Amino acid sequence: MENSMIHVENLHKHFKKAIKEPGLKGSIKALFKPDYSVVKAVDGIDFDVQAGEMIGFIGPNGAGKSTVIKMLTGILTPSEGFCRINGHIPTQSRKEYVKEIGVVFGQRTQLWWDLALRETYMVLKEIYDIPQEDYEKRMAFLNEVLDLEDFISSPVRTLSLGQRMRADIAAALLHNPKVLFLDEPTVGLDVVVKDNIRKAIKRINEESGTTVILTTHDLEDIELLCNRIVMIDKGKKVFDGELSTLRERYGQMRELSFELNRAEDLEKLTYQEKFNFAEDDFSVKAEGTGVKVRFNTEIASVENMLSFTLSKVHVKDISVKDADIEEIIRRLYKGGGEAK
Amino acid sequence: MRKYLRLHRIFVAQDLKKLMEYKVDFLMGAIGFVLVQAVKILTLGIIFSAIPALVYKVNGEVLDAWTFNEVLFIYGFSLIPKGVDHLLFDNLWGMGYWVVAKGDFDKYLTRPVNSWFYVLTEKFCVDAFGDLFVGIVLVAYSVFSMPAEIAADINWLRLIPVAFVLPFAIMIYTSIKTGTAAISFWTKRSGHITHMCYMTNEFASYPAKIYNNVVKTIITYILPFALTAYYPAIYILRGESPWSLAVTVGVSVALFLLSQLIWKLGIRAYESAGS
Repeated sequence: MENSMIHVENLHKHFKKAIKEPGLKGSIKALFKPDYSVVKAVDGIDFDVQAGEMIGFIGPNGAGKSTVIKMLTGILTPSEGFCRINGHIPTQSRKEYVKEIGVVFGQRTQLWWDLALRETYMVLKEIYDIPQEDYEKRMAFLNEVLDLEDFISSPVRTLSLGQRMRADIAAALLHNPKVLFLDEPTVGLDVVVKDNIRKAIKRINEESGTTVILTTHDLEDIELLCNRIVMIDKGKKVFDGELSTLRERYGQMRELSFELNRAEDLEKLTYQEKFNFAEDDFSVKAEGTGVKVRFNTEIASVENMLSFTLSKVHVKDISVKDADIEEIIRRLYKGGGEAK
Repeated sequence: MRKYLRLHRIFVAQDLKKLMEYKVDFLMGAIGFVLVQAVKILTLGIIFSAIPALVYKVNGEVLDAWTFNEVLFIYGFSLIPKGVDHLLFDNLWGMGYWVVAKGDFDKYLTRPVNSWFYVLTEKFCVDAFGDLFVGIVLVAYSVFSMPAEIAADINWLRLIPVAFVLPFAIMIYTSIKTGTAAISFWTKRSGHITHMCYMTNEFASYPAKIYNNVVKTIITYILPFALTAYYPAIYILRGESPWSLAVTVGVSVALFLLSQLIWKLGIRAYESAGS
């Protein structure tokens, strides 16, 4: 689409990697006659993001998420294909382009270790040529959303992880960018801080209309923040769509939990024999008399499962739960490319 | 450019503040530097106490000779461009040793400033005042204690062209560091290459004529540290080889352009690091 905020087309990134045999002999051999293999970290990805959208970019470790983000932010040069963000090709007009984006890498701060936070923002004000008036307004807004007041005079190295993350997000937003890239913004944070950060991100998206690209392993982030997710695995896109579509399409899993009168009754529940589940479609977990059965509703409906269970044993308590997003994602990761 | 100067000022202030905070670190650095310089000067002093002058002979024929004061002057002068580069552009060392390998170069690419300038402005290395101090003291001492017949050769007007050439001499240091640091974009680490090239400046602290042709060619044209020290210094002292000043400017500009090219190409090859 021509007028989307982010347009990614046939994006590839290949890394040349030296193959080294183990041991000293291998090292010496690699020194004189190195063997290379090409790793396709990103292997032909296309997607579009509209202005103001907030998308979750997910995938297992090593799927190529960070590599895509680094190409989108102009850090890495694509091996093939291109991305265009608000009319810019990142690596071609880098200095112009990065004025319009904010970047937060959860694992690595972009702040200056020894500078007091307030001074960090002064430096950024210079770097981005922010007029004094805009700067004050923006600072006041970020202060309110991210609650920086308590530690704004402390040097960055003394901040706690949660404070640092808030400081990093504020730093990425000071110049009011059109697009915000958040690479694992909640990694390693406690529940309360996570919650605050999510609220802040949501508010910034709503009030400033900032387009947000979020990578995360915390699926709660996705559930609370993103309407749309793009999932990649082994460098390829495996899903792109609304969270609700994902839930409809892959959310056939249910969890049946109940309490048996006698733990030995479990043997009578021969679900496998009755419904013939595939390995992925079914599992039983029992702790004493409490039993949890996960199953795929395409193979056995909730009704069938219930009536089969009740016909075999006496139970005290019974409930059926929807599959949560985590379950869906786990199935998708396992399915890899086929899930499309 | 004004923006870079403003940024630079903030970081300078910051590094001075840090200096107050990490006093012991600075003190140890300063003491270490003074000791190293003292030993080198002492060695020169011992050598010259046994011989009247450093002599350049071919087939037994004396072609040139330098007194202790002249050698001291050249040595002291060499510390000045080196010191200025050290003071302002020391941050380049980190590139080859860890910045690129650890993927920390990412942050220089996500800001709307020239990445090279950004790396340069980020640090102000106060240790370099040691080089500058020793350099200036040695130059002053060698001039004031000079035998009258040598001092008579000095024309202080020659300082004017040398002052003009000085920024180019500094740029030779900076460009060599830049070019070798940028190799790390391909190799991940190149700190030792930078170190190896940088250390050839030791040769350049003494009269270039005393070396064989290979070394002389290297320190004049390839890693042209002689252009930052021996040639301008001997020009001040004796008015010898004024052409070398033009060579300094030319070679410096060429090296600068080459190092910028390597840097630019390097950024394209930069692979960051997994997170």
